Amino acid sequence: MQRRVAIVAAVAIVVATASAQTPAREQLARGRALWDQRLAKSAIAALEAAAKDKDTAAEAHEALGRLYTYKGWLQDNVLPGLHDEPSFRERALVELRAAVAADPTRASAQEALRTAEGYAAAEAVDPAPPRPEIRALDAKLQAYQSQPAAPVSEILDALEGRAKAQADPAPYFAAAQILIDRGEYDRAISIAERGASVSDRFIDENLSAYMLPGKSQGSFARGRSQAADLVGWALFQKKVYAGAQAKLEEAERLSQGADFANQFHLGELARAQNAPARARDHYLNALSIAGAPAPLRQRATQALTGLQADPSSAGGFEAWLEAELARRRDERKASALKSLIDRPLPKLALTTIDGRPYDSSGLRGKVLLLNFFASW
Amino acid sequence: MPHLKTSYAKYQSDPRVAFLLVSIDEDSKRLQRYLNEMKFPFPVARLSSEQAQQVMGIDNTPSTFYVGSDGIVRYMVVGGESHGDSPARVGWYIDQLKTGK
Repeated sequence: MQRRVAIVAAVAIVVATASAQTPAREQLARGRALWDQRLAKSAIAALEAAAKDKDTAAEAHEALGRLYTYKGWLQDNVLPGLHDEPSFRERALVELRAAVAADPTRASAQEALRTAEGYAAAEAVDPAPPRPEIRALDAKLQAYQSQPAAPVSEILDALEGRAKAQADPAPYFAAAQILIDRGEYDRAISIAERGASVSDRFIDENLSAYMLPGKSQGSFARGRSQAADLVGWALFQKKVYAGAQAKLEEAERLSQGADFANQFHLGELARAQNAPARARDHYLNALSIAGAPAPLRQRATQALTGLQADPSSAGGFEAWLEAELARRRDERKASALKSLIDRPLPKLALTTIDGRPYDSSGLRGKVLLLNFFASW
Repeated sequence: MPHLKTSYAKYQSDPRVAFLLVSIDEDSKRLQRYLNEMKFPFPVARLSSEQAQQVMGIDNTPSTFYVGSDGIVRYMVVGGESHGDSPARVGWYIDQLKTGK
């Protein structure tokens, strides 16, 4: 619990610094530190403040230019859900030119400007590689999965170190899972809850990089869902079944029933509550979702063998399972979203790839699959 | 997107069915590179992200609409596929519309 207080206190200090009137150099240092953590919105605000003071203008413009270069050309999928933002590209060049103008002898600004101009002229720019220091801190934290004898305080230190280096929620969820596996349920719960608010803030700080409102909303929901599922799973382990049910069902709503681990956890809970029909439903939901690791799928299938509705039905367990999964997939198909449904397809100003008007007359009178996509 | 290619193979020679991909990319170079990589066998058009959001209500990609031969939108599927049988799903929607359901 003491550790958690320390984390909260650290956040309070950052917030206090943010609201205080500080000299330009402090704003510059703060902006750089915030950007190291990938808290873009706050970093930009601090650097813009520092750019107004002529003592720090060159450094601040350069830092802003580098930040915008990253957002414009380099951030695609470096973190889940983030995409390149072409709207920042011109701003990157403007800031870096301003840095060079403020201090023509500043070699690092000249170099950053040349790099950005190179990106602007390039056919394609590869995303930035993952930062090695973050990967190392992730690996250090993950390693505690297989070190059951390590003291809990070490795990919390590893979490704190990683969380300080980059402000995304991933280490909180990883640490909460490790602590659940070690029976440290209360600590796991407080860390998962902390992860939910860290997730909200991180998305908010990088909102424009999600490109579409549905993508940022999806990311908000995923962070909260992951936290609720971990809290519910920890409560389940503590045999606090009513609390576990509330949190696991919250995660189910947020993930729209499409998260394998959550459906599996709900199945385990229902089984412990002696509700075989509900357990069966959740295990089947889980198995009808693609992409879960094989060991988890096996556990869900194993749990189902004792729960078949009519054990004497023809074809045995395999046939029953296949029929149930097929039925669930069909239900998914039928529950397609409503909005433009049953209305005429609106007229769209489509163009060809090279920008000429698109002739869609050939589509008239046909059944049409119309797929909107983006390459990012 | 590979599941669309798989699905298209089934309807390629069906004169009653058409596929159209619409890119909402802002970055032309990136789009061109993506298309070179994917080599889609069906036509690809472009629409501004603003219009896609305003007119079609798109707030996520991919978003797929299934339109009947009468020009009425019948199904809409938003986001990635969390359930495992994508080509079968695509085929199901199209076959529903072909039989006039």
